[in-house]
Amino acid sequence: MEIQWSLVLFTALSGAGAWLVACAGIDAFRGLAKKAAFPAIVAGIALIVVGGIASATHLSHVDRIMAVLAHPAPGIFLEALLLGIDVLVALVLLLLIKRNASAAAQKALGAVAVAMAVVFSFSCGSSYMMASQLAWNTVALPLGYLGGAMASGAALWYLLCAICKEGSDALSFAAVETVVGAVVALVTVLAFGFMADVIGGQSAVLFWVGVVVCGALVPLACGFAGMKRTSGALSLSLVAVIGAFIGSIAFRVLMWTASVAVMSLFGVSI
Amino acid sequence: MARNCIVVNLDRCTGCYGCEVACKMENGVALGERWSKVLAVGPVGEYPHMTRYALPTLCQQCENAPCVSVCPTGASYRDDKTNVVLVDKEKCIGCKYCMMACPYGVRSWNKSEQCVEKCTLCGHLTSQDKLPACVKSCAAGARFYGDLDDPSSDVSKELAKYEAGDIHTLQDVGNAPATHYIMTSMIGEWQDRVETKGHPHTAAYPVAE
Repeated sequence: MEIQWSLVLFTALSGAGAWLVACAGIDAFRGLAKKAAFPAIVAGIALIVVGGIASATHLSHVDRIMAVLAHPAPGIFLEALLLGIDVLVALVLLLLIKRNASAAAQKALGAVAVAMAVVFSFSCGSSYMMASQLAWNTVALPLGYLGGAMASGAALWYLLCAICKEGSDALSFAAVETVVGAVVALVTVLAFGFMADVIGGQSAVLFWVGVVVCGALVPLACGFAGMKRTSGALSLSLVAVIGAFIGSIAFRVLMWTASVAVMSLFGVSI
Repeated sequence: MARNCIVVNLDRCTGCYGCEVACKMENGVALGERWSKVLAVGPVGEYPHMTRYALPTLCQQCENAPCVSVCPTGASYRDDKTNVVLVDKEKCIGCKYCMMACPYGVRSWNKSEQCVEKCTLCGHLTSQDKLPACVKSCAAGARFYGDLDDPSSDVSKELAKYEAGDIHTLQDVGNAPATHYIMTSMIGEWQDRVETKGHPHTAAYPVAE
């Protein structure tokens, strides 16, 4: 099937944005990175919105998009709804941090932001689970979407902490979060690779180099190195971000190229 | 609720492509696009036990149509009166989600209107008690149109002539296709899947490798 770049960018950017906001939400519990939280949430909102706009570019009749509201169903409606809710949650969290609201309120919104990141990034992949597509019809697909988004969002958080020159505790914890994101990405993409049988043949290079090495092992190594030493955090986090995003995009590209229809009687596909 | 569909008797089908042509003429289907398509299945097997038959395909009017359930705007819908799966082009946003969800890839993309379209079972004709163009034009009398739930319909009467083992549907992945195919051992063995590898001269079913 033809690669739908609009949709690749949508889930890669919006998912990373949601997890960037989630990392700022986690910091509400730790209170380690006060300087990075605000720009992280702003960047997260920007990524979510840019991703949403990217998704609309693959529609031929955007002018009719409001009809989506009249037909609530899983898929595009759910993604749009969750995207809107996630932006609202991020905006409220931003407001609470800006106004130095109570720690309890910030923690509550932080927890909601984490939950929203999980639900949103998973649902973006679950939309593609359909019986007609043999390689997609596995729960490992949305889990892979979640894993890639988590790795890139956590790496971005690590980068912003480094840019904002946060303290060593904050940098070390951001590195731990990057490791966790990378491990989740590694496990989930491997699960998809084996379940969808895309680990060999023409998909082998894209899967092993793009998805596994760049998307999981690179941020994993950078995060692991950053846990032990905070010097060079900027370089480590930058490499982690680049690797995670390459992996996240490669995973989504792989999904499209690995598409196998039950039948394609007319020989056409999108 | 009616279950209007097409039944094709493959024992009679000659693979003349008349239904394809009639569909394109009647519905003004663009060059390169098809709402109805005849595939050549096989030849498979070893001589003298070989199977080769023509398989006319079109929207299968699935009872659990995934194209309807995934459509974000309701543009893909099931008509209340006829129970036929249709596309309201005025509502289609061109997301092509239905094309991904169709197990058979029988939906077409209309480049000029930038929306999805498909077989309508010639609703403009059947609403006037006429037959769909592909049925009317079938020179071999192999195509039937009607309501599966009506014992007196053409489809029910044709199906009633055959044993259950001679009646087939395309591979069902939970969508319950309503379109039925009749094929007896006279023609050969019904093929759920045909490997195209090693058979480069056949169109067969395009299948997963």
